[in-house]
Amino acid sequence: MIQHLLDGILVGSILSLGAIGLTLVMHTLRFANFSHAELLSVGAYAALVFDGLFGAFYSQLRSTIEPLSLTWSLILAILFAMIVTGLSAILIDKLVFRRIREKGDELSMVFASFGVAMVVRNLISLLFGLKSQLFSNDIAFAIVISRDPMILVKPDQVFVLIASLLVMLLFHLVLSRTTFGYALQAVAENPVLAQITGVNLSRMFRMIWLIGGSLAALSGIFYGLNNQINPVIGRDLVLPIFAATIAGGIGSVYGAVLGGFLVGIASNLALMILPSGYSPAVPFLIILGVLILRPNGILGEARA
Amino acid sequence: MIGLISYLVFFATVSSILAIAVLGLNLQWGNTGLFNGGVAAFFGAGAYGLILLGGTVQADHIGGFELFYPVALVGGILLSGLIALVVGMLTIRLRRDYLAIATFGVAVAFENLMRNAEWLSGGAQGMRGFERPFEDSIADPFVFNIIFFCFSVLLLLGVYLFLEKLIRSPFGRLLRAIREDEVAAKSLGKAPNRVRLTAFVVGSMIMGLAGGLYATFYAFVSPQDVLPTLTFQIWAMLIVGGSGNNQGGILGAFLIWAAWTASGWMLSKFAPIEAQLYTGTLQYIMIGMIIVGMLLWRPQGLLPEKLIVSQ
Amino acid sequence: MFVRFFKSFRCLRQALLLGMVGFSSTLYAQNCTTKIGAVLPTSVDWGRPIAATAQFAVDLANEAGGVAGCQVEMVLRDTQVDPKVGVDAAKALVDLEKVPVLLGAVSSGVTIPILTSVAVPAGVMEVSCCSSSTKITALAEEGKTKGLWFRTFATSGVQAAVGTMLARDQGYKSVVVLYKNDDWGQDISKLTVRSMKSLGINVTNSIAINDGQASYRAEVTEALKGNPEGIYMALYPKEGISVVREWLSLGGSQKMIMANSMKSDELKDSVGLKYLKNALGTDTASPRVESASKFVEMYKARFNSEPNGPGLANSFDATMIALLAMEAAGPNASGTQIAAQVGKVTDPKGTPITADTAGFKKAKEILNSGGSVMYQGATGNVRFDANGDVSAPAVAWSFTESGTKEERYITLDEVDAFMATMQ
Repeated sequence: MIQHLLDGILVGSILSLGAIGLTLVMHTLRFANFSHAELLSVGAYAALVFDGLFGAFYSQLRSTIEPLSLTWSLILAILFAMIVTGLSAILIDKLVFRRIREKGDELSMVFASFGVAMVVRNLISLLFGLKSQLFSNDIAFAIVISRDPMILVKPDQVFVLIASLLVMLLFHLVLSRTTFGYALQAVAENPVLAQITGVNLSRMFRMIWLIGGSLAALSGIFYGLNNQINPVIGRDLVLPIFAATIAGGIGSVYGAVLGGFLVGIASNLALMILPSGYSPAVPFLIILGVLILRPNGILGEARA
Repeated sequence: MIGLISYLVFFATVSSILAIAVLGLNLQWGNTGLFNGGVAAFFGAGAYGLILLGGTVQADHIGGFELFYPVALVGGILLSGLIALVVGMLTIRLRRDYLAIATFGVAVAFENLMRNAEWLSGGAQGMRGFERPFEDSIADPFVFNIIFFCFSVLLLLGVYLFLEKLIRSPFGRLLRAIREDEVAAKSLGKAPNRVRLTAFVVGSMIMGLAGGLYATFYAFVSPQDVLPTLTFQIWAMLIVGGSGNNQGGILGAFLIWAAWTASGWMLSKFAPIEAQLYTGTLQYIMIGMIIVGMLLWRPQGLLPEKLIVSQ
Repeated sequence: MFVRFFKSFRCLRQALLLGMVGFSSTLYAQNCTTKIGAVLPTSVDWGRPIAATAQFAVDLANEAGGVAGCQVEMVLRDTQVDPKVGVDAAKALVDLEKVPVLLGAVSSGVTIPILTSVAVPAGVMEVSCCSSSTKITALAEEGKTKGLWFRTFATSGVQAAVGTMLARDQGYKSVVVLYKNDDWGQDISKLTVRSMKSLGINVTNSIAINDGQASYRAEVTEALKGNPEGIYMALYPKEGISVVREWLSLGGSQKMIMANSMKSDELKDSVGLKYLKNALGTDTASPRVESASKFVEMYKARFNSEPNGPGLANSFDATMIALLAMEAAGPNASGTQIAAQVGKVTDPKGTPITADTAGFKKAKEILNSGGSVMYQGATGNVRFDANGDVSAPAVAWSFTESGTKEERYITLDEVDAFMATMQ
């Protein structure tokens, strides 16, 4: 039970990072972006490339940071991958979404995002192949926290959790303490009104894509660190991330964080109740339950 | 030449079946504004219901009642309607994205149940043991395909005419009124949720009909037939064709399915032999680009909704 | 814009392929071509190598002068693991390309609708490398496949029995079973659990592993409960890598038994050989003849790796048998005529034929003079029963530096005797 709860929190932190970006986009740009999860793949592969590059040029960067399986070159690669992914998100918006936004409705955007997801995912598999890849082939062994009940934790997972929480805290501070944060919230609430009060809307939209993209990259890299990297990461994670976003309440950053943990814990605890064959359905059934009780998500507000 | 006709009949049959499902979705989304993310479940209920009721006895799961074909088909449709009723009662008051994810969850749960409950659905192996109606008496498979094609088109036409009549009726007007302004409709003493539920159930039953025809044509159904991809395909057909417009929905079904399949055929024909192994991936890129391209070109759909003024 | 993109992409792809052994190295001696259709999931990680292996077999046959006097062209279509897409592709191959033989599909959920709605109505022969569903056997028993159906994937019964045999011989007292949650996985796990229990091995749990989950941590945590001594896995490489790494990192036992699908270099490299010393696998056996190692050598020369991966050897054999049957049936034969020749090329009394260019050439001579041959392929002396199913001897393997090596050969009689003891 405790082990499942812990595992759920660790998985949840990865989903939360992905959900923050999605909730921002869904709220400000008013559409469900199904290509968001592909940014996780973009981030993970970008990190893989940069990691390889840095490691090749500066061999001292290849040493691992004990007790993690993380290397210095990967840490550096994470930063570059976040920027690259944020920029790709802006590029995709410029190429596709902005054009459709100008004349189409919300649903056209949603299905364009499906199309974009297909293109991005398959471009990645053309470039990198369909096989699974890893940042490090070494297996990081779990540390025994307690023997009875048996509780095991992997150092990498603890790092991922702490790093995710730090990023979320940082983002919280930006949102609640800076002019930029206020502007962001204003745009999220009411883009037209925000524009009247002097917020540069298109610049704000670019910032939202940049933030959403870089957080997605982080989420994808952390996923790769704990599991593996393959071209279908996005396809596999899109649903849990959506579930997290919606359960938390669209537009609520804190809801997204909460939703991520909820989905992570739910899918872990599910195995205690149901045979594992049913586990894919469980997060959604829990969300169904949440929505029946709170039709706008846990922290969401009704929107006209 | 006969080969080409044979293929086109086959293609048009599948397109017509998918078009029926698109029409069902159009009633829900285009006319009522209900974001059904679980098309695959209602389609699948029709398919599984049909084989369960109309199939021969199988060793490893229930069913095999060998009912008369139309009865089995109606049974499958009613099963879709029943599931839609239960799901609708729980979720119909949810808005857009929330309804979408809730119904999506239902579809995932449906697929999961079909994959795991071997006693019910044959599990991941799927269900067979279904005899295609009159297949034995029609010796030539080509003739069978043509007859089945006509049958599917007739049903498509029937559903189309029914929906056209429906949306021009006072009920149809009410659907659009609720979609556009729920509060106004309420103020006139209408019960929006009950009307929505009706549209949801009827739309889902139409999807069930499509599922039943699909299972008839293949004489087989498995969890692989009810994956979320199907929901996406049906939605893409509606949005590209033009939501709110039944003709648009049918056009979208034929066009998207053509793009989906013809892209693979073209790649196998024209891509260099060195690239043949990568055509599967290339095909996905092509399909994605066609969908994005069509939406960039006409974001409102090929045949946008016409304002219907009913007298 | 799209065309331009595609063209530039083509150049890129060709540049990338320069390093590989070309597909087009064949000299086209004849000026006619005969087509063979393939419906395989090339957009899926484990599907693409299966298609590449089928193409490899076609190229070998072409080097040997093609079949029935013509060069063979394999027309390949992706199924996207979507039954609708696979069936449409098969129909297009049959109607537009006029192929008499279809290779595929992999998933039974795609294979069966192709069989019932395309292949059988059109009288086209279908050979699958990898569909294991028992529903197809039932179809055949009812006479609905009309003798047009064959598969080179041995039924799950033998795999499950051999896995159990290994657990018994290793002396494992308790085993946890993890399986891919599809038709093949459900089938093999059910059989394995049943046979292990009948031998008194304690099966602590049997856990379904679903495709594409965000994490397999919960499943592995569940599997660790009850401290099983060993673990039996019937998974595909992608999920297998995640599960095995998670299992080991949480302190799971290195006493592993794996189904043939996990015989993959990708898995070995991602997990690390040092953790796989006690891992044993099961597979259908190669014949006890020289040609088997020759097949491995040829494969290495072509792909720079051992033929390790789900369905590769089966795909090779499926293609080879189809091509030999096409040769035996002569020019412009129909699917039914070709299917009727399958017995002639897998005749246990026939002349043994190796699975390479020389073997194919020899087979052509014998078949043209009216004789019959016994094809000895990558999965053994393939022989089909009346339902198009194969049974093959089995082999136990382990991972090595370069790939895998054979630990033990288990004849069909041994397997049958073992299965009889469990009744």
